[in-house]
Amino acid sequence: MFACIYIPDFPVEAIVRVEPWLREQAVAVLEGKPPLMRVVALNEKARCLGMEVGMTKLQAAVFSAPANEVAHSSEARVENSKTTQIELSSRRAKSKPKPGLAMLHQRSAAQENSAHAALLDVAHAFTPRVEDTASDTLLLDLAGLERLYGAPATMARDLASRVNAIALEANIALAANPEAALHAARGFSGTTVLPAGEEAHRLGVLPLQVLLDAFDISLNNGPASDRERDKLGEQMLDTLERWGVRDFRTLALLPEHALASRLGEAGTRLQRLAQGAGMRTLALCEPVTHFEEAMELESPVETLEPLPFVLNRLLEQLCARLEARALAAQELHLRLRLERQVADEETTTTQELAGASSHVVGGGNTVEHSLRLPVAMCDSKVFLKLLQLELAAHPPGAPITKVWIAAEPAPPRSAQRGLFLPVTPEAEKLEITLARISGIVGERRAGIARLLDTHRRDGFVMDHFVAAEEPRQKVAPTMSDVTEPARLALRMFRPPWQLQVRLAEGRPVVLTAVTKPARRGELQGKVLWSAGPWRSSGDWWTKNVKGESASEDQACPWDREEWDVALANENGGSVALFCIYRDLASGQWFADASYD
Amino acid sequence: MPSVATLRARIESSLGEHLTSTLLLRERAAPLTVSTGLAALDALTGGLPRGALSEIAGPASSGRTGVMLAALAQATRRREVCALVDASDSFDPASAAADGVDLERLLWVRCSERSSLSPHKDHPPRAALGRLEQVLKVTDLLLQGGGFGMVVLDLGDIPAESARRVPLTSWFRFRRAVEPTATVLLLIEQEPCAKTCASLVVRLERKAVCARDAVAAPARIGPEGWQIVSHSGSGIPENNVVSHAALLHGMQLRAEVVRTSNPPARHGEALDGDPGSSTPPSAKAALGGGPGSWTQRKPAQPANANFELRAAW
Repeated sequence: MFACIYIPDFPVEAIVRVEPWLREQAVAVLEGKPPLMRVVALNEKARCLGMEVGMTKLQAAVFSAPANEVAHSSEARVENSKTTQIELSSRRAKSKPKPGLAMLHQRSAAQENSAHAALLDVAHAFTPRVEDTASDTLLLDLAGLERLYGAPATMARDLASRVNAIALEANIALAANPEAALHAARGFSGTTVLPAGEEAHRLGVLPLQVLLDAFDISLNNGPASDRERDKLGEQMLDTLERWGVRDFRTLALLPEHALASRLGEAGTRLQRLAQGAGMRTLALCEPVTHFEEAMELESPVETLEPLPFVLNRLLEQLCARLEARALAAQELHLRLRLERQVADEETTTTQELAGASSHVVGGGNTVEHSLRLPVAMCDSKVFLKLLQLELAAHPPGAPITKVWIAAEPAPPRSAQRGLFLPVTPEAEKLEITLARISGIVGERRAGIARLLDTHRRDGFVMDHFVAAEEPRQKVAPTMSDVTEPARLALRMFRPPWQLQVRLAEGRPVVLTAVTKPARRGELQGKVLWSAGPWRSSGDWWTKNVKGESASEDQACPWDREEWDVALANENGGSVALFCIYRDLASGQWFADASYD
Repeated sequence: MPSVATLRARIESSLGEHLTSTLLLRERAAPLTVSTGLAALDALTGGLPRGALSEIAGPASSGRTGVMLAALAQATRRREVCALVDASDSFDPASAAADGVDLERLLWVRCSERSSLSPHKDHPPRAALGRLEQVLKVTDLLLQGGGFGMVVLDLGDIPAESARRVPLTSWFRFRRAVEPTATVLLLIEQEPCAKTCASLVVRLERKAVCARDAVAAPARIGPEGWQIVSHSGSGIPENNVVSHAALLHGMQLRAEVVRTSNPPARHGEALDGDPGSSTPPSAKAALGGGPGSWTQRKPAQPANANFELRAAW
């Protein structure tokens, strides 16, 4: 048993897939460079209006929105720069579709590729034996799947529902041979099951054009170009129509030898196909491992407000594709093509944010944002929120003309937490919370502190926070375990406060804060007690020959004398313990921590 | 004078069975508590209550951070995920690691004045939030997200006048947010500011600084009872070669319970997850405890405990 998935009016469906509100409208897809743009595809509603494939844009415009409405829309765009195509589209979607008006869209190769990849995902999730016959047609070998999915009719319905889940409307046909399934899918709408032996009878009513379209496809491997094949097909169709042959049944009944003598091998082959015969081996394709959705925007999006509508549609499709393959996303890449090139300083470079959960790469007129997720997840709402927060933190520097979203697939999480383990934050919620917190306190200011292998004070880096899930072998402490006394802790001053220090016999006796005027009073007064000095130095090997630090990334050398002092505050009279130091390179005094 | 229970029984019996449900007082169950990591403080307070707001207040160098790190160390040892909202970016990861805090389980949020600026020149910078505003917003997000065993708000370097300006509704909101959860919400500050929203308020003060001070004068009584206690503990290596004469050894601290709704930990009674806990009877007596005395907000007698924080060296 073979199945064929055929998407009628594929260019239209690819557009409608990301703009579902267009399904209720008459849509025509244009291709070509102005002014030679022609209609290459249209949906049933557009056909009902009288539109045809091959119309020029001018001809098609007669069926589209009236000129005054278009003018009004254009004026609105000019008057209010914030109004974008998306908003206009949304408004159109909300308004009642006006009969007699068609929407004209530019053909989008990116959206067609995404739709085709999604279709392949669905097919591969159903069976591993899939032939990528054309961008709008897939053939599936269903041999042996009856025990898994049930009767052929059930399989056809199951396939149809899976294709519907990726927002495509398809014709599904099941037959005993791939060619019969292909013709049935192209000729009959909805789901069709051709019982074995009845192919010729059921296919007999189909017009000959269906056969010749499919016949073109079957010659794809031949040396002839598309134009030559089209020409050959038209010639053959003309010949057969002159003979009065207009459907499959008539062609199937023609005498085989007479047909072969007049049309050659192609004629014989056409007749066999019209009879519902034509077993062949499928040219199987590999499953798609690249998950990407793209959308070209008809007019540039200048603000971030309408962008979530676009992102949401793309993410929903991406998640549907991942779910169809029982996968999740470990990493998300958002690529934006901008209307103009952005200067280097307007984009944050990767180096600046290395190690964070996200980074931005700027180059030319394309900006890429990458989100590395701590756990594999497949929730479009979470992805959308994360991307929104990412874009809010790193807004693109110019209007956006095209959007790509790609996902790095990974197996979904399968771990189940124990009943008696402490509660930890949900990974998805935590990611959003962290992104929001980063929006409040700044980039890389929320996370895990990872200590560096250094004696330098404050030697740590910030890492992305991930709620550790692996159970540790340590047992929860009991009161009897709490035997070790607590440690005296430091409270750091970042950056250190500069001081003026009066010395007596080499020891600090009076301190005055130079910096931090708001809190100067805290570090001003008489030293009651002091301990020190303790000398420490390090990272001197990072100096280059010029005596400067090798680079900003590397640690700077330090050489200092530290003192612990008890300071009686002049203002309040309270006493506090501070750690102060003298930088031996500059001779200046600083306070870098207090004991608490 | 008849007790409350007797009065209640009399009223219920006189009004009959119809009104019993109306008159029935809903007694809140005693909250689960967790160890602070300091035995003396556990004995004094009964531990930090889960699903409640606790405050540790004290001036600079009074051991607030040491207590905070001890509590965080205990929480991370229990494999709980913790969060520290650091209002003044003063957290020292090295001190925390030395105190036993598992840094992998601690989300550190560093608030600062200069953090909310947009990096993009085409977009106007977002209004820079003050530190306190950042703390409140971040805490809201963390409590809404849930799943944290302990959330610490470190306002230790925020002046008491500023902290007092935080609206009471914020503390009330935080209390309501943690009530149905097992989260310990701990507030470190100079002066108590959450008022009645706090279930436990402990005030810390420094009694003395322990130091090995060979050349210093023995009498070290200064302002506010400031004194240095000479220490010759075995933990300090006696090394005559060392040129410097003094070494900070630690601090002796005193904790006082200002407000509590915890029952005092009774002798042999376990804290949450602490089956082997034991509390000295003196600590029980410190709260003037009878069986039902934990419901009182202010202890009848001052409840104090002394403990020590030692330097890491």
